[in-house]
Amino acid sequence: MEYPESHKEIVEELLGGRFILSRESHYVTIKENEDFYNLFFKASFNHELQITNEFVRVISDETDENLSRDISIFFAILCYELDKHGKNFLDALQYSEFSIEEVDNLFEETSWVDLVHSNKHLKDSDARKRFIFSSMGKRNIIEKIADDRFAFTAAYKVFIEYAHDLAQNSLDKNTTR
Amino acid sequence: MIKAEPKTILYFIWNYFDIVRDLFDTQSKEGIIRKELLEIILEKNKKDIKSQLIEYKILRNINDDFELRDVYYKLVEFILLEFRPLLPEEIEKFKTSISELFRKIKEGINEDKTILLERIRALSSQIKEFTDSVEKNSIRLLNETRELKSNVNQIDYREKIQKASFWIQYYINPLNAILDVNHSESISNKLLDVSEFANQKRLSIADEAIRNSFEQLYSQLVQSGDDLLRQSKLLTNELLPLIERIKTESLILTGWIEFLRSYNKVSPPNLLKARKDSPYSTRTYLNTKEYFEQFIAQVEAVIEPDDENQERWVFNRTLFRQRLSDSLPVENFFDWCTSQLKTDKDEISNEKVFALTSLLFDEDLEIDTASEDSTMLIITKTSKLTVPKLILKKNGVS
Repeated sequence: MEYPESHKEIVEELLGGRFILSRESHYVTIKENEDFYNLFFKASFNHELQITNEFVRVISDETDENLSRDISIFFAILCYELDKHGKNFLDALQYSEFSIEEVDNLFEETSWVDLVHSNKHLKDSDARKRFIFSSMGKRNIIEKIADDRFAFTAAYKVFIEYAHDLAQNSLDKNTTR
Repeated sequence: MIKAEPKTILYFIWNYFDIVRDLFDTQSKEGIIRKELLEIILEKNKKDIKSQLIEYKILRNINDDFELRDVYYKLVEFILLEFRPLLPEEIEKFKTSISELFRKIKEGINEDKTILLERIRALSSQIKEFTDSVEKNSIRLLNETRELKSNVNQIDYREKIQKASFWIQYYINPLNAILDVNHSESISNKLLDVSEFANQKRLSIADEAIRNSFEQLYSQLVQSGDDLLRQSKLLTNELLPLIERIKTESLILTGWIEFLRSYNKVSPPNLLKARKDSPYSTRTYLNTKEYFEQFIAQVEAVIEPDDENQERWVFNRTLFRQRLSDSLPVENFFDWCTSQLKTDKDEISNEKVFALTSLLFDEDLEIDTASEDSTMLIITKTSKLTVPKLILKKNGVS
């Protein structure tokens, strides 16, 4: 049987929890072989593939809950603080570059500071820098632009959708009360 | 007097915390726990613990009704971080007590030592209560304003603005005035005066006990200053611009606020746990090799123990010196050694040859070489030794 080009890299990256972005050449290969990859990941690992116009990722019950929770806390505080400073946080996530210094200012001045200081990934500037460039970078959630600058990739939308759904559930619960 | 052991009471609270919490909620809402409500709460939890609640002095009778005793109310309030918002007047009262104590300390600095120490202690206690009250109020106000921002209850914009205005007018602005160091009448400003005074006295007072008291007060004020500054920043950055902030509403932000409030109770988004060894891992080859290697039938390696019965050869110097002496003159010393060792039942070893060689250092012997290139070969168990031909005579005998 002949496998699509870059099959090995595609499988390696997706199983490593990485988002494959639409600008990457692997993305085109997956799109062209969408049925094959859906079947392949289901049959081989019992994983689902999420293929959007902006990225491909694996969805599975084998979830890294701690990492996901810390990334969610990171986005939650970032959005909260950007909004507090009068910025449109969705525009900022989509189009802006961030510097570590900017993130440090937001996270040190936040009213959620107790939560920040008790989280090993977010507790200080060094921990946050490692978290952003290593943990989030490895998964393609951010793109490193310089030693202390980064931008978010479309992967941020997974977390924004999560917040949206969470709010919707809370609102629904309150309406049915 | 409470008959029960302290641990029994704490265990009781731990065991029936759901009921204690319900009682706390009821009292927070109603101001009192009506006897009917107490019955309903106990019925709902299917526990008949009314007598213990009274016996352990957790509840107090107010005519036919009840209330949680202040100490338990405050404990639950603190554990749940659900503080009653304090009116500015309730915080403002600390200004009087702090100012009055400070005035008396200054005036009585050279008077009775005992009363001075008591006043310093009382001032410290008032400052502690004041900073605690400010912190508790900030937490409560922050929760209220976050709820307004999150707007999970979907109240309309007009009502939201009304609520925000209420909080700002009656709680946030007055609290800001209390904390504003630029305002000459603020409590924060008063604390700065106390801090400056304590700083001078902790260095200049002769009496050690008083000096230490001022030292402690000063350390406390440094910490309080930091805490109050943090609360003040919170007010300026987050609470005062509340009206501006609630103008925008976002479902996503609602979700994030709900998430941050209970991030440990909700499942975060699904994010695949990275596999360390995928089928294409660079380590697959070595891992597989290692796995299969454990099943390879290996030739059994046997380590044979040394022959324990073999007797260790011990060089009997006296015996061999006597033999050598009897054999003198000897034409070829090493040839003599070989013949001696061959008579021994064991093989010739290097150790034995070298041991016999030491006989050459005997002062009674005169050693001579047969010729410069005249050598002989000794074959031992492990080596071939080329040795010179040595002629031995008794010293002094020609």
